[in-house]
Formats: sequence, structure tokens, C-alpha cells
Amino acid sequence: MKCGVCAKREAVVAYTHIVDDVKQTLLLCHECAKEKNIEVQVAPAEQTKDAPVLVKEIKIELAKLAGAEGDGGARCPTCGMSYEEFKKVGRLGCPHCYDAFSSQLERLLKRIHGDNRHRGKGPLKAVQSAPVPDELERLRAELAQAVAEEAFEEAAQLRDRIRVLEGK
Amino acid sequence: MNIEDLVYNAAGWLSGEEDGEGMVVSCRARLARNLAAWPFAPKTSLDDQEKIIEQVLSTAQKCHHMRDAAFFQMNTLQTNQRQLLVERHLISPALAKSKGQRGVLFNADESLSVMINEEDHLRLQAILPGLQTHAAWQQVDALDDALNSELEWAQSERWGFLTACPTNTGTGLRISVLIHLPALVLTEDMERVVRGLARMAFAVRGFYGEGTNAVGNLFQISNQVTMGVPEEEIVEEISEVTQQIMGHEKEAQAALLADAPAQVEDKVWRAYGILRHARVLSGQEFMNLLSAVRLGCSLGMIDGLPLGFINQLMIITQPSHLQAESREDLSPADRDVRRAELVRQRWAEQGESP
Repeated sequence: MKCGVCAKREAVVAYTHIVDDVKQTLLLCHECAKEKNIEVQVAPAEQTKDAPVLVKEIKIELAKLAGAEGDGGARCPTCGMSYEEFKKVGRLGCPHCYDAFSSQLERLLKRIHGDNRHRGKGPLKAVQSAPVPDELERLRAELAQAVAEEAFEEAAQLRDRIRVLEGK
Repeated sequence: MNIEDLVYNAAGWLSGEEDGEGMVVSCRARLARNLAAWPFAPKTSLDDQEKIIEQVLSTAQKCHHMRDAAFFQMNTLQTNQRQLLVERHLISPALAKSKGQRGVLFNADESLSVMINEEDHLRLQAILPGLQTHAAWQQVDALDDALNSELEWAQSERWGFLTACPTNTGTGLRISVLIHLPALVLTEDMERVVRGLARMAFAVRGFYGEGTNAVGNLFQISNQVTMGVPEEEIVEEISEVTQQIMGHEKEAQAALLADAPAQVEDKVWRAYGILRHARVLSGQEFMNLLSAVRLGCSLGMIDGLPLGFINQLMIITQPSHLQAESREDLSPADRDVRRAELVRQRWAEQGESP
């Protein structure tokens, strides 16, 4: 199967996205997927045979949950900064960027500080928007775990529950 | 207040108190804070910046910590005047270079200051002489509470205080200690110490913080981690780590003295002699000589020379201080002459001649 974009290289990933309620599936090669900012983790050959498209789909879903969408990444609705822009300048645009890029920052903070939960001085006056419910956090962790263990049925269920919780 | 008058102000952190066996010059606690209602500083318009300054100043006037405070707006200052504030550790080199509506507010003994519209809307700082990390934290904490009673900080439950750069998110607290480590440099053990500190997520920087070189064997040690560790623990860790380093420095000093006592003594007194009699002193040479004299003091070779005097001398001989004090434009060559002159003069006033 050839890549749907360049039509030259072998497709290694199926990218499913929904435009105006129409589901489209694109088969992409490594390079074109990279251009669209889709994380491709190439599974070893035998796994590719056993669990072909679903693993990749879920991985793309995961990447999407993390905000890395094909159009250059999520934007902060308040100040308009994109994650790509943040990566270039290293400074966030406004306090709401923390909500907009929460899943990326969750990992980034962990990398920087070895932890991503604040301990210490609390608010005299709390101002920020409501914290992301722990339930959603837990489900995302379980989904990642399920994908890692190749428990695909469970992963698909988890994915659906996350969608419901996110109100999608 | 005329900004040049700062030259004659004895900043509290230079007093030489609580000096940790002559090694620790000062310590600093800094908090990064942002107002919830505005974009972060790099994304603010001039208009936003002005309003932020207004809000902060009107709140600060009401809190007793800052009642006698002076405020300087960057775009009203000359380059040299800004640099004067950098030399006094009241603003960062980044703030001195920046454009737009930015400023600094500080109290009479310069122990408490607030940079406005640097990378974050507010950078609160408490700076004290010697190893008093706990007291520095308490002071900046109290100032934070006082300001927060009217100003709403950007913060979240899971991530604490939200800052423009994720390296400060969480507590927003950076504790740093300015420490003199001549023997570790001389024995070439400093590199090993720096590596060890880096492994424990502590940063080692030069005299003027981020991006500056170590001059005169002075180093700033600070925490890197601001998330997941409560403030009190950060304070405790820095304090412990500093004491460990002091121990290493002590050992290195003892080793030097055991190996080459005459050479160490010679280095100290030679430096002392040059400082008292030189007619031309570059900034670099001066800092190195002063380091040797400081070492002489902590080894007990030189008696009766207060560390407060050494610390003061170190600041008033910085380029922009010399410029401000002489009230005229000095070329670098003029400055080196004026530096030597000022050192001789102050030393004579100090009346110290062992």
C-alpha cells in the first residue's frame, strides 16, 4: 500500500480524522506522517502483522489527545499561542496556555522537575479554571498502559470513555 | 531618590553577617508570580505593562514591607544607571536590556525588591547577608502574602503558581547562595563539585546569575526544581548542600595549607599589598586579588578586616558604580585608575594595617 499523500513511499500508518462528521482514513508513509506531526512508533514486524491498524489508530488517538494534531498543534483559545510556537520561544503566552496544552505540559513538567504535581504554598485566592478531573487523568494513564500491553479491546473501550468525558 | 545615591547606600546583604566561616556572602529567595488577568509578560502590550505596573505599585504602597520603597522605571534610566541596579543585584541583566514598560521596586536596605514585567509579571526577591536561607524565604513569603491580598495570582491546584517558563512552575521559588570557593578552584576540584551539584539538580552560576562567569571565585548555587517539592524543603536542601560544599572547601583549604603553607600565605599577602598600593586595577584583577584577601580572612591570616568591608569594596568598584560615583564618563582605562584610587582611599579610611 502506497502513501496517500506522496503516493511513492510505503504507507506505515493509518490516520483517521473526522471532518464535518465525515470520517476519513489516510494511509501515510513515515515522512508524510512526520510532516503532519503524527507520532509514528513502528512496531516490530510480527506485531505489525498481528495487530495492524488498531495499534496505530490508537497511537494516533493518543497523540491527538496530547494535542499534536495534523494542523500544527492545538492553540490556546485565550491568547492564540500554538504549542509549536511555545516550543520555539520557550515561554507560554498566558495562564490559560496551561489548560490548552495540559497533556504536553504534564510530560514536560515531569521531564524538567521530575514531578508534575505542585506541593507547597497554596492559594490565598485561587483564580485558575477548574482542574482537570482526576478520573480523566486516570483513564488516560490506563489507556497508555493498555496500548503498551497491546490489550486493544480494553484500549478501545477506554478511548471511548475518554471521549465521552471530554464531551466529544 | 537620585539613583546615583545608591552608591553610598550600604545594602544589608553586604554586611558580612552570618557568613558561614567567611565563605557565604549572601543568600537570596526569589518568587515568580503572575497576575491571573493578563497574558504573560512576553505577550503583553505597552498598555498592559503600564496597567500592571500601576496595579503592583498601588498594592505595594499599602503593605508595610514596601512603604519606604523606591521605584525606578527602566525606560527612564540610562544604560549605566540600569547597570548600577544589576551590580547591586536589584535587577537581572535581562531586565536591564529589555525594552518597554518595566521597573523595579525596592526597600531602603535593598533586602526586598520586586521586578515588574521581567519574564514574569512579578519577581519578588529577598536578599540577606550570609547563610540565612530560611529567613530570606520567610521574608519573601510574607511579601508574597501581602501582595496577594489584593493581587490575584495565576495558579492552579495541580501545578501551583503558573509562570511564563515551565522551569519555574510550581512554587516559583529559586533559592540561591553566593559562596566564595577559592581553594576548590585552586585544587581544581570545583568542576567535580559542579558536576555533583548538577546531578542533584542544583545549578552553579557566576556572580551575576544566569549566563555570567564566575569572577573572583564566587559562585551562585541554586535549586533547579520548583515543582513537587514544598518551599520549606527547597530551603532546607539548599542550606544542607551549601554546608556540604563549605565542608569540601574547608578540606581543600586545609590541604593547601598542609602542602604549601608559605605559598598560600604569600598569595594572600601579595594580594593585600597590591590592593593597598596599586595605581591601576582592572576589574578582573581586582576581583582575583580580593578573593585572595578574603581567603586570608577566612583562614585567620588577616585579622581585623571586616567581611562587610570586603563586600562593600567588591560592589563599589564595579564599572557602573565607579561611573556613578565619579559623576562623569570614564573610559575603561580611567576606570581602572579610579578603581585603584578608590580601593586605596577606602582601605585608609578603614584604618586597618596589621
